[in-house]
Order: sequence, then C-alpha cells, then structure tokens
Amino acid sequence: MSEGLDYKFLVDTFFVALSGVPIALAITIVALLVALPFGFILALTRINRIPVLHQFAQIYVSFVRGTPIIVQIFIVYSSIPLLLDSIFTKYNLEMNVYDVNPIWYAFIVFSFNTTAILIEVFRSAISTVSKGQLEAAQSVGLTNVQAFRRIIIPQTLVVALPNICTATVNLIKATSLGYALSLQEITLRAKVAANVGYNYVEAYIDIFLVYLILCSLVEYAFKRYEKRLIKYKAVNA
Amino acid sequence: MEKYFDATYIMQSISMLLPFLKVTFMVASFSVLFGTIIGFILAAAKLGKSKIARNIANGYITILRCTPSIVLLFLVYYGIPAIGNNFGMDLNDIDKAVFVIVTFSLQFGALMCEVIRSAYESIDKGQFESAVSVGLSNAQAYRRIIFPQALVVALPNFGNSLLALLQEGALAYTIGLIDIVGKANLIIASNYNAHALEIFLALSIIYWILSIAIEQFFLKLERVLSKGKQSLKTM
Repeated sequence: MSEGLDYKFLVDTFFVALSGVPIALAITIVALLVALPFGFILALTRINRIPVLHQFAQIYVSFVRGTPIIVQIFIVYSSIPLLLDSIFTKYNLEMNVYDVNPIWYAFIVFSFNTTAILIEVFRSAISTVSKGQLEAAQSVGLTNVQAFRRIIIPQTLVVALPNICTATVNLIKATSLGYALSLQEITLRAKVAANVGYNYVEAYIDIFLVYLILCSLVEYAFKRYEKRLIKYKAVNA
Repeated sequence: MEKYFDATYIMQSISMLLPFLKVTFMVASFSVLFGTIIGFILAAAKLGKSKIARNIANGYITILRCTPSIVLLFLVYYGIPAIGNNFGMDLNDIDKAVFVIVTFSLQFGALMCEVIRSAYESIDKGQFESAVSVGLSNAQAYRRIIFPQALVVALPNFGNSLLALLQEGALAYTIGLIDIVGKANLIIASNYNAHALEIFLALSIIYWILSIAIEQFFLKLERVLSKGKQSLKTM
C-alpha cells in the first residue's frame, strides 16, 4: 500500500468493472418497465380511494420505504427459493432451485422496490393535474382511455420526470447491492478482480468512477428528455 | 413450507436483535451530527459569493449523489488507512464504527446541504432586513428570526433524510460492524443458515416500526413548531 496506487491494475480493473454495466442496466430497465405501469395504476387506486387496493398500496409503500433495500433482498433471497422448492416438488419438476439465475431475484426485488417508490411519485404528480382537465377531455368526446393517454399522462409525466430521474439514479446505485445475490455486476466483478492482489482501494476507485459516469449520463439523458416534454407543461399565464 | 417456516422464531429473534439497536442509533446520531455540520458548510459555500466555493460544493453534491453508499463505505474503509499509511500512521486498528460514521456523515452532509439551502431560500429576505432595521445585530437576526422559521421549513426534508440515512446505515454490516443487521447475520451463521427468513423478517419489522415512529414524530414536531407560522397568517 505504501508504494501508492497500482496504476496498471487501476486501468485494467476499470474495464472489468465496465463489463458489469450491461447487467446493472438490464436490472434497471426491467425494474422500470415493471414499475412504471404498476406504479401508475396503484397510484390511481390511492387517489380514487378504491377500497381494498388503496389500503394494500398504502401498507406496501410504507413497508418498502420503511425497510432497507438490503433487508428486502435478504428476504426475497431466502423466501423465494423455499417457495420454488415446494412448487417444484409438488409438481414433480426436475429442476434445481440453485440453478436459477440470481438475476431473476434481482428483477423481483428491484421491481418490487421501484414500484413502491413510483406509486408515491405518480401520486403527487397526478394530483397536480387538475380534475377539470379530465372533465374537459370527456366533454369534447374523448373516451376515458383516450383522455388519459393524450391529456392526463403527458401532463403527469412532465411533473413526475425529475422524481423519476432521482428514482432511476437511486435504482442504479442500489444494483450495487446485487453482490448479496452473487450477481455478476459492477461491484462484484471489480471486487473479485481485487481479491487476487488485495488491490481494494484501486478496485473501489474504479467502481466509484463507473457509477459516477453511468449516473451522470442518466441524469443528462433525463434533462434532455425533460426539455422535449416541456411543451406539455400547462401555461397559466 | 411448514417445516421450514416457524413464526415463533420471529418473536424470539426480535428480542435478540433489539439490544443491538443502540449501535445503529449511535452510528446514526453521530452521522447526523457531523453530517449537519458538513451540510451547513456546504450550504454556506453554495449561498456565498465565492465562485470557487460554489463549484466545489456543487461538485461534491453531484459526486456523492452518484455514488452507491456501499461503494463509498468501502472506499472510506480501505482508502483512509491507505492514505494514513502514506503519512506513517497505522489506522488499521481503529474501530469500524469510525469508518461507518465518516461515510454516512459525508453522505448526510450532501443531503443536508440541499435541505438547508432550500429552507434558507424559502425565508423572505425582508425578514432579515426588518430584523436588522429594528436594531438586532446580524447574529441576533439569524438566531431569533431566520433560524426558527427555516427550521420549520427544513423539518420534513430533514425527517426524510434521517430515514434514508437509517436505511443506508443497514449496509454497515458489510465492513463487519455489529449493528442489528450484523447481529442478524451472526445469528444465522451460528444457526447453520437455518431459519434465515424468520430472522430477516424480524429485522424488517424492527426497521418498519422504527421508521413509522420517526415519521410520526416529525409530523408531530412540525405541527408544534409551525404554531408561529399560523399566527403570521392571521395578520
């Protein structure tokens, strides 16, 4: 350590860490694809106070926001194999639980988590669109689906986008916990490379840089998209 | 399922985990203390006139926002002893809690900077001017007029940041700190990995109750402190 950083290792491991980016992005995208529609629908149930679903969404959001993501990962990782195992033995399927790719658990945990975050995001965004918008859309003859697709959702999206951006960045950061599922993503790959020569400082500098670049790019992309969507913003002047 | 899952283990492990909550609290409160100080310095830099200080503060916040806490934790854990080594200090033996506190203070500082800045900016500039015009000194005006009002505005955001800190703090077990998550993992290891699910459920129940309690506490506190605000409205 006293001889300073090992620059060759630093550069080599940077590319090792970079090779984990596709997995981190795959988890992020799958989680967002699952969470966006579910989050939107559950947010609507909370706003319209639909009896059972409304309470369910409330408890669900409170649980996810109230417990650390790592504990959620632990719970899923220790409960799903038990469930799967009992299903496999019940239907006499010749499958081993330990052959399931850990990425599936990651998909489940992060979709579960992101949905709850997006419920809150959409709930606050939908409530900023005034009720008159829906009524006006209906009065000019749009169906409910059309009104939502063309009038409500674009306006909601403008308001929700900064928060969705934050949620996405947090999601990318949270994928670093995939090591607990022995998932071959950015953090674990660099860590394994460091195990050989105890070059942990260099490895973590690399991981740090990769996340920094990744998150900055995502933030930049969201900013660009926000500028394009701004035309939907209601002007009250 | 029946033979794997035993609900009595949940209650049993809650009572085993609760004593370790004080480690979690200790780490969290030190991080809040130092993080708030860092937040004040950063907010002062952001609101000040110096362009260099503002850029440094902005850069710090961007970097910290883009770093997963586990990566920051390990950077601190491996990085600080390595830097200390270069100056001839042996820092390998200090308590792991110190590294955890350093990490989460850094992170909480970035969160708090934004909280403090937005609270400060929400107070009308006329408040300060009128306080000075009735003869208060600058320090008095800040302490008696600006600070109490900014505190009420900052409170909900502070509560949210505190909850976020508490949950990120669960990662401290990764460097070997024995807080409640660390203890849970120890119990599981000593059980030969049996009943892991029940112990993790117990863990999640503790965290859940804790965050609901903190949330409610801040709601109550906000109501108490915003009394002064309402009397302003009637004028």
